[in-house]
Formats: sequence, structure tokens, C-alpha cells
Amino acid sequence: MESQALTAHTEAEPHAAAHASVHMPGPSYWPILLATGFGLLAMGFFFWATGASDTLWLILGAVLTLVPAMGWATTIAAERRHMDADQTGQDLHKGFLLFLVSEGCIFGAFFAHNYYIRLTAPAWPPPGAPVLATTLPAIGTLVLVLSSFVVNLAHHAIKSRRLSAAKNWLLLTIAMGIGFLAIQAYDWGFLLQFDKFTLSKGVFGSGYYIMTGFHGMHVIVGLLMLSLVYWRLERGDYNDPKYSFSTDAATWYWHFVDIIWIFLFFTIYLL
Amino acid sequence: MSTVAATLPETQPRYHGLRDWLTTTDHKKIGLLYLGFAFINVWAGGLLAGLIRLDLYNPGWKIISPDFYNQLITMHATLMIFMAVMPAFAGMGNYLVPLMIGARDMAFPKLNAFSFWIMVPAALMMYASFFVPGGSARGGWWSYPPLSTFQFMGGHGEDLWILAILLLGISSVTGAINFLVTISDMRAPGMGWFRLPLFVWSWFVTATMLLVALPVLSGTLIMLLSDRLFGTGFFRPALGGDPLLYEHLFWFFGHPEVYIMILPGFGMLSHILPSLSGKKVFGYKGMVFALIAIGTLGYLVWAHHMFTSGITPAAQVFFSICSFAIAVPTGIKIYSWIASMWGGVIRFVTPLLYCVGMIAMFTFGGLTGIMLANVPFDILVHNTYFVVGHFHYVLVAGSVMALIGGIYFWYPKMTGRMYNEKLGKWSFWLLFIGINWVFFPMHILGIMGMPRRVAIYRPQFAFWNQFISLGFFLLLAGGLVFTWNMVISLRRGERASNDPWQVNDIQHAFEWTTSSPPPAYNYAEIPELEASEA
Repeated sequence: MESQALTAHTEAEPHAAAHASVHMPGPSYWPILLATGFGLLAMGFFFWATGASDTLWLILGAVLTLVPAMGWATTIAAERRHMDADQTGQDLHKGFLLFLVSEGCIFGAFFAHNYYIRLTAPAWPPPGAPVLATTLPAIGTLVLVLSSFVVNLAHHAIKSRRLSAAKNWLLLTIAMGIGFLAIQAYDWGFLLQFDKFTLSKGVFGSGYYIMTGFHGMHVIVGLLMLSLVYWRLERGDYNDPKYSFSTDAATWYWHFVDIIWIFLFFTIYLL
Repeated sequence: MSTVAATLPETQPRYHGLRDWLTTTDHKKIGLLYLGFAFINVWAGGLLAGLIRLDLYNPGWKIISPDFYNQLITMHATLMIFMAVMPAFAGMGNYLVPLMIGARDMAFPKLNAFSFWIMVPAALMMYASFFVPGGSARGGWWSYPPLSTFQFMGGHGEDLWILAILLLGISSVTGAINFLVTISDMRAPGMGWFRLPLFVWSWFVTATMLLVALPVLSGTLIMLLSDRLFGTGFFRPALGGDPLLYEHLFWFFGHPEVYIMILPGFGMLSHILPSLSGKKVFGYKGMVFALIAIGTLGYLVWAHHMFTSGITPAAQVFFSICSFAIAVPTGIKIYSWIASMWGGVIRFVTPLLYCVGMIAMFTFGGLTGIMLANVPFDILVHNTYFVVGHFHYVLVAGSVMALIGGIYFWYPKMTGRMYNEKLGKWSFWLLFIGINWVFFPMHILGIMGMPRRVAIYRPQFAFWNQFISLGFFLLLAGGLVFTWNMVISLRRGERASNDPWQVNDIQHAFEWTTSSPPPAYNYAEIPELEASEA
């Protein structure tokens, strides 16, 4: 259905050129599909968390979220070729920054919770909470912070059209992100198995698991975005620097995830 | 310019019928979808209110169980706030903002469609929660723990409610991003920030508040959900958590939310009143700064909902003073609206009646708000019907009246037909009398000491409760007349010209230059504001 809209747009090109700023994409099924996907994801989570069903609906929801999201991103990338690249680029950048602001506010609620409890609690960490080992998480932090520099190298390489270098830096970033997740997973496993420390043991554990878990989900999303950029590099989509929004977005998101982690590390492990 | 509008051929193939509505990225159609969605939910929420009034008609005798009563009040509030007033303003904003700034669409048309469509699964989940074993959420729209924790509220209706609110939060945030980018990037040439129409300004401030406040609610509800489902202790004292903190986080969202639900209404009044008085708006810059001031102060008053929850006296004083301070910018707006009509040639048509009614009743609601910002007074009437009366005066008599006024005012633009003036006046008087009939006595009940959120009450409150319950039929009649007017005018209404209110005799307002209804691309040529126009 998208291609139909696009060919028609191309035919209308001379007319659109007369009105230089025509900014009207055609109809699309992606929004309603993605909304359905989110709905299924929420219901799947509900069924799974309340024990009404196994993960079937959750997985179905995840698929129905990811496929339209990818399709949507691809459609926008194609459509922008027929629009004012500078204008749409500016819009997308602003929109993405605002999105990061709203993401920051979700984390803000978690941080506000953590500091409020910490300041009003008689003792912190509360008695019974394990002493968190800091060595391994510190290495993880270092890996994630360094990966932020590496992704910048990839970003610059794309901007200056050194595309094979960009691919290598990007792969390294992805590897470092996976490394960070592996360290986190090891940390979780260790606490669960040897310290018998679970998220229902008290507010300290709740904050620890939910905050690092929520952040870990963001790392996974960041990795998906970086993979999408890698895939598009393979396709040769970034030959024109005007259309490099997705590389900016993925890079910014990765920096965002990194900055949140620095605060998290400081708050949970060090303070 | 307006005559050229119809000559630009469609540059896009469009589907027809149902497929068109499911796939559309046209901000006008999406705006109408939002309005239709709000319409369905305002009726559902209104019928729940009818059941509440039925229950309260008698102090003791019950057909409705107290447990179901709690579900009713929770769902009534949730439907009205998140699924009626918010989407209705979003619908008006979607329809009007691109038109008013001379754009062809929103900055992200597909995201715009997504913001609407994600409300549909949320609504389905919300309604489905009634049929979950144990029934729907029943902790009120605040869902305070410990009441909302699993020990005190079994069943999974509350969980479904939380998930639905999270989806609605995604809708609001993506919508807010869209509005912010659209307003900052897509203004017509010559339209600087201080020449933006006030409705657009009101949406800019609203979207900023949505962007910051809604995610805080989402984060808080994620913690509450995990307390319920995974046994975490964020808000459970036994595990070291703190329920008071939930109140702080909730109202850090909840109070800005109050302004989110009224500011676009303020924006509409600033168009309707001067236009129907044949004048320009009075004190434009003051109006803009008042909007910004309300939006900013709105973040500093949240704990005035918590004067009795155990906050320190110093905090009480701080939040009390900030709450008083909001009366200043609000007062600026009210005086400017009155000054906008002063000495004008006022046409007493339906939209104007709604707006004047709104000013009178909203001012009353604002004044009871100042009373409630007083700590000593608030402690006396906290969680009584006085509070219920107060917020219905700002929400129903304020937001909803402004909204209906706005819908009447822009109805010719949206449909190409005039509404029926006689029915319009009937709907106004029924609703105006009905609102005062129903909500004014609530203040009396509150001062008499009747607590809110109770299904069974003492017999001395019976008279006013029966009085209020009878008034429900006035609101019902007003709503029916309004709905009937909207429906029949689609077919039988007189054809509307491009500018039925002659707004462009006074100033250059883009949305009234294009055809009614506007073509898919709004303007054949992007309009411009001359330096001399304001």
C-alpha cells in the first residue's frame, strides 16, 4: 500500500515542485498496526504477569510492535526522498530530542523515588540488603562510557562517508553494548543465586532490579537502533548526508542510555 | 486566496470509506476521530455518573453494591479525564493548530494517527476491566496505595487500568511532541512567536506540560504495577517503601494535568469572545505570558492536594502561596476576556453564550480553588463534597463548556454546515442550569460534612443529594440536545461560507480564509502574515 502512494507522489512531482513545501504523506496502515501491536503487548504482559497465559501473547505483541515499527521507519526513509529534506530533518531531530526529554522524565520518577526513600529512611542501605560489589559494574560502566565514544567515531565516519570504517566502529559499539548487558546479567545472576536477593526483599532490591532492568530494556532498544543503522549502511542508504537522521537518532539514544547509566551507577552502587 | 483553494488537484491517492478513516494521516480527519472518540466516552462516563446519582438518591437503600460504586467513581473519573476531555482538546488542537499556523498538516502525520489509534486498545482494556473477576479499578483516579496495593485490592482490574493508562500516556506524549515540533517549525512566513494565535499558544504550553508530566505518571504507575504483580516494595511500608511518596509523584503529574485540561479551553475563549464581539483580543502579550505563568506555576503547587497527608508546615505554606499565585495569571486572562468584549458589537450566538457561561462559572470554581488553597479551610473540607463541587466547576463548567463552545464555533469550518442556533441555545440553557443545579449544592453538602467517595451516607444529607440526582436529567437533556444538533446539522444545516463569523473583517485569521471544510492540503498556497497585520 505504501508503494502505491509513493509512485503517485513521484508522478505528482512537477506539481509538488511548484509548491515547494508540500509536506503530505499518503495514507498508511503502519500507525494503526503499531497501535494494535502496543495493545497486544500490553495485554500479553497482562496475561503473562497475572498467570492467565504463558508468554505467547507477549511474543505476538512484541512481533506486532517490531514489524510495523521497522516498516514505518523504512517508509519514512523512502518518503523523505520526495520531501524537503532540510525541513523534515529538522522536524525529526527536534521530535527525537523531545522524545528523549520524556524518557528522561520517566527515569526522573525512579530517581525521585530513590532519593526520597534514601533521605527519609532511618538507615541506607537498609539492614538486610547485600553489599553490592562495585568492581564488575564499574567495568561495565567503563565499557558503556567508552562505547559512547566509539559510537561517536562511527557517527563521524558516516558523516565523512568513510562507510567501511563506520561499519567497524558500529559493530564494536554493538559488541560493547552486549558486553555491558552480559556484565549486568552476571551481576543479577550472582545476586539472585548467592545472595538470594530478589526484588521483593525490600525497597532496596525493588529499586535495584527495576531501575537496572528498565535501563537494560533501553540498552536493548538502543542496540536494535544501532543494528538498524548497520543494516542500512549495508544497503548504502547513507550516501547523502542529508538523510542521516537515523544515525543521529541512534547515536543520541546511545548517549542518552549512557548518561542515564552514569547516574544510575552513582546512585545505586556508589552512594 | 480562498477561491484558489479548491483548484489544487489532489497530489495523493486516497482510500475511500472505512479504509480512508483507518489509514488517514490528514490532521483534520484525525482531529475528527479524536472528537468522535471523546464523544463516545463522554456519554459512557456520563451514564456512569447517572448510575452514581441513582445510587446516591437514597442514603441507605442500594441496588448498587458499595464495591461496584467504587468502580463507578473510578471509571467515571478515568473516562472523563483521560478518554473524554483530553482527547477532545487533542481533537480540536489537531484540527485547528495546523490550519491556524498556515500549515498543510502536522509535522509527523503518521505519528499523529498513531497517537489516536493507540487510544483505542487503551479504551478497550479500560472497558474490559469491568468484566475481570473482582471488577475494575476501584481506588479512584489517583489509585493511592496502600488501597491500590494487591493486599487491599485483589483481582486484576487495577492492573488492566494501569496498563491502559500507560498506553494513554504514550498517546499523550507522542501527541505532545507532534504539537511542539509543528508549532515551532511549521508556522507560515511572517508568523513570529508573538503573532501566534492564542489557541496555538495554549497548545504549545499544554504540550510542554504533557511532555514532562505524563512520563512521571508512567514511571510512577510502573512502580505501582510492579508492587502489585512482582511483589516489589516501592510504596509498601512493610518493605521500606512509602505511600506518601506515591502521592507526591502522582500529584506532580496530577496538578499539571489540571492545567492540561483547561489551557486549550482558555485558548479557544481567546478566539471566540473577541471574534463574536467584532474586536481583536485584548492584551495579547499579557495573555501569552499568563499562559506561560500558569504552565510554570502549575508544577509548584502539587502538594496542595496533600495538606492533610502529613507534609511539614513549611511545605504547606510554600504550596499554599504558590497556589494563591496562580490566581494572578488566571485573573489576567479573565479580565482580558471581558475587556475583549467591552464596547464590542456582541453577537449572542451559541458559542458566545457558552464562553460567557464558562467565564462566570469557571471564575466561581477558581474562587473556591482559592478557598481550598487556604490550609486551615482545606483541612476542614478536605475530601468532602466541597472539593467535588470545586473541581466539577472547573472541569465541567470550565473545560467542557469551553469545549462545547469551541465545537459550536468551529463546527461550520469542520463540516461546512451551520449548526442549528435554536437547538444550540436550548443546549446552552439546559447545561448552564443543569451544571449549577448539580454542582452548586455539592459545596453545601461539603460544608455540612459529607465525605466524597461514599456509597452510603447519613440521612441529613439526603435532601441535597436527591436534589442533585434530579438535576442529572437536565444535564442529560442538554447533552442529548447538543448531540442531536451535531448530528442533524450535518445534513440539514445551512451551508457555511468560508468565514461565517466575519473574523477576517477584523484580523487575518488563516483558518477562516480557506474553504469550509478545508481541502486535504488546507491551503493551495501557504498563506503569509504581512508585517502590518497582527
